[in-house]
Amino acid sequence: MIELTNVSKSYNRNKVKAVDNLTLTVKPGEIFGFLGPNGAGKTTTLKMIVGLLRPDAGRILVEGYDVTVDSLKAKQITTYVPDYPAIYERLTGLEYLNFIGDVYGVPKEARIERIQRWLDVFELAQVITNPIQSYSHGMKQKIVLTASLLPAPRVMILDEPLVGLDPRAAYQLKDLFREHCEQGKTLLFSTHIMEVAEKLCDRIGIIHNGRLIACGTMQELKALGQAEQSLESIFLELTEK
Amino acid sequence: MSKLGALVRAGLKSNFGMAVLYHRLFREKKDRWLVPLIALSLLGIAPMLYGLTAFIKEMYFILKPIGQEKAILALGILAGQLVILIFGIYYILSAFYFSRDLDMLVPLPIRPSQVLTSKFIVLMVNEYLTVAIIVLPFIVTFGILDSGGTGYWANAALVYLVLPVIPLVIISLIIVPMMRFINISRKKDILILVGSVAVLAAAFGIQLLTQKAQGGSVNQQKLVAFLTSPDSLLHKIGSNFPPSIWATQAIAGGYSAGGLTNLAVFLAASLMMFAVMIVFAEKLFYRGVIGLNETSGRKRLLSRDEMSHRISSGRRAIHAIFMREVKIMNRTPVFLLNGVLIVVFLPAFFMVTMRAGAGHSAGDLHTMIASGNSLYIILMTALFMIICSSLNGTASSTFSREGAQFWISRVIPVSAREQVTAKFLHSYLIAALGVVAAFTAIALCFPVNPLHILLAAGLALVAAALLTAIGMMIDLARPLLDWTNPQKAIKQNLNVMLGMFADAAFLAAVFFGIRALTKTGIGGNAILGLLFTALILLSFLSWVALCRFADKRYREME
Repeated sequence: MIELTNVSKSYNRNKVKAVDNLTLTVKPGEIFGFLGPNGAGKTTTLKMIVGLLRPDAGRILVEGYDVTVDSLKAKQITTYVPDYPAIYERLTGLEYLNFIGDVYGVPKEARIERIQRWLDVFELAQVITNPIQSYSHGMKQKIVLTASLLPAPRVMILDEPLVGLDPRAAYQLKDLFREHCEQGKTLLFSTHIMEVAEKLCDRIGIIHNGRLIACGTMQELKALGQAEQSLESIFLELTEK
Repeated sequence: MSKLGALVRAGLKSNFGMAVLYHRLFREKKDRWLVPLIALSLLGIAPMLYGLTAFIKEMYFILKPIGQEKAILALGILAGQLVILIFGIYYILSAFYFSRDLDMLVPLPIRPSQVLTSKFIVLMVNEYLTVAIIVLPFIVTFGILDSGGTGYWANAALVYLVLPVIPLVIISLIIVPMMRFINISRKKDILILVGSVAVLAAAFGIQLLTQKAQGGSVNQQKLVAFLTSPDSLLHKIGSNFPPSIWATQAIAGGYSAGGLTNLAVFLAASLMMFAVMIVFAEKLFYRGVIGLNETSGRKRLLSRDEMSHRISSGRRAIHAIFMREVKIMNRTPVFLLNGVLIVVFLPAFFMVTMRAGAGHSAGDLHTMIASGNSLYIILMTALFMIICSSLNGTASSTFSREGAQFWISRVIPVSAREQVTAKFLHSYLIAALGVVAAFTAIALCFPVNPLHILLAAGLALVAAALLTAIGMMIDLARPLLDWTNPQKAIKQNLNVMLGMFADAAFLAAVFFGIRALTKTGIGGNAILGLLFTALILLSFLSWVALCRFADKRYREME
């Protein structure tokens, strides 16, 4: 479970308010999609949850752990996929996965089983001993996703995870999201792809100018607008205001 | 603005990070503390400048009566050109071929020669700053002593502006065709490494040759004949590189016919060489660049057994982070060279110089060591070991080297203390390697008492712990994470310079401390004991401070 209570964050000495008094709960077993125009505050919110940014105000709990007080406990059960896959280019894919396994303390047997499974799913098995610098953008994205699945985390935070993936990998990833949440785990991701959000998410939050302007199931969001509106139309309508 | 102008402007901005600096200093109002600190660091070079100026003055007054004074000017100009020539290989390779902006520049509607020219101009500006400390003291001191007129100063300014052209063109004319015709795209790491080692070896060779030249016996009659012919010394110095003679005569001659003729020859030669390079660039530059960034690996499927063998059975986090540091450092040529190899090169350089029998000076050192005060011998040996172990940027770039990947260190469930411990062990191991290399060099070159050399090594190892912790704190205070070229993380990182400045300050403090102690009449053993105790205590305190600082910085860094 992820709980944000009155969270705010400003940049440039309070001149730019990136997140403004945001309150949000992502329940266990839920896939939560975070939508918003560029610069709305999506990435800032995700980064605050994983400890890359400190909130100016408010409280963030991950499975009951305050991310600023019990940060190590929160990090132990959370993995993060950033919007750009900046990873150690000089390591091989396998060395990177081993590194992640070591720092999260994943036992060897579980490590072998999970690595083999995700490498097959993402079709990375043949290049896993090559340096990451020889990977394409999509392959780097896949290795970051594999690393984020390796510790079998309770909570996954993903920033635009589908960008750069080929259609097959994107399809597989959506299945993986569902499987993750069926085990009672939590998944929060940001996206620009309305169709994915509409089909995949249990609930959707729309953020604009740092404020959560709408949040709910697809049905609840549709109730905000005119009947039979697509998520795209609802999004455009809400973010134009 | 012309395309070339726009390219040069963008190149200069990105090279010097002016936009970022302006934003941080004046918009975000951060890092203002850096301004006095940099000013202080610049003051640190004042003693060196003073020494150089004194040397030039002394030489001038010796050579003036025999009409050979222009040789001093030629020496300065030649030294500057040599520095450009030697280090230019590295700079040209990185600027022309390995900078990441090429991926963005190649698709733009700009001629290859324009791209190359813009990069060349940015390099020239870099060179003005690099050689200023060598060339300007010669030009200015000579000008003042020789009462140079307007012609002297005007020609000097022109020559200084054009000075880097010929050496840089020479290197470009070797590198541009080489990159076109040799398929080295997949071996760029090795190329950088081999190129850099070759540069160091060349510097090495020049040093040895100079020593040999100085060591040779001189026939007195020949010497008199040589010294009495006008400007013979100037021609001797410049004989291997005539542009330095033209430049010298142009400056010294001022507005006289000789001065202007030499100026014209120097400018025309520079312009012609530049034109040749442009012709080459237009035809060859892009063909060498395109495809250079492609790296490919072989595809191979691991069997289940192989996979099981290669998957680690669960190392502790500190071990995993330590191994990550080692692998990234050793697999990135710029890091390997400036962080690891340099600690071995320096003692090796010293050893070769000494063993090549640099004539009387090595002999004098031998005698001094054999008969000297044991406290001073231990301290001098330790000083050499400390310099060898700390003159690398490993500790003071340890966080910067992570660059854009630093987010991983921030999200993994490993405490800041554990991460810093792993990084400390890595940096310290390299410093210890420097101590061992220096130990070997000293043991092979001088008849130092084994107990003395062991004591010195002990002192150096404790001091290295302190200096490693200080270097890491400097980098942690303001890590440079937004680089695209790894060179920026270690070679062009202000933190590395500040780290060396801190090392120098530490050595100065130890020097003054010991001087004060010796004045009180305390014995050598007591001084050593005190020094050991103080260093151990300081190392421990610096370690505690580093851990606390890491706890704070890992939380607040954004």
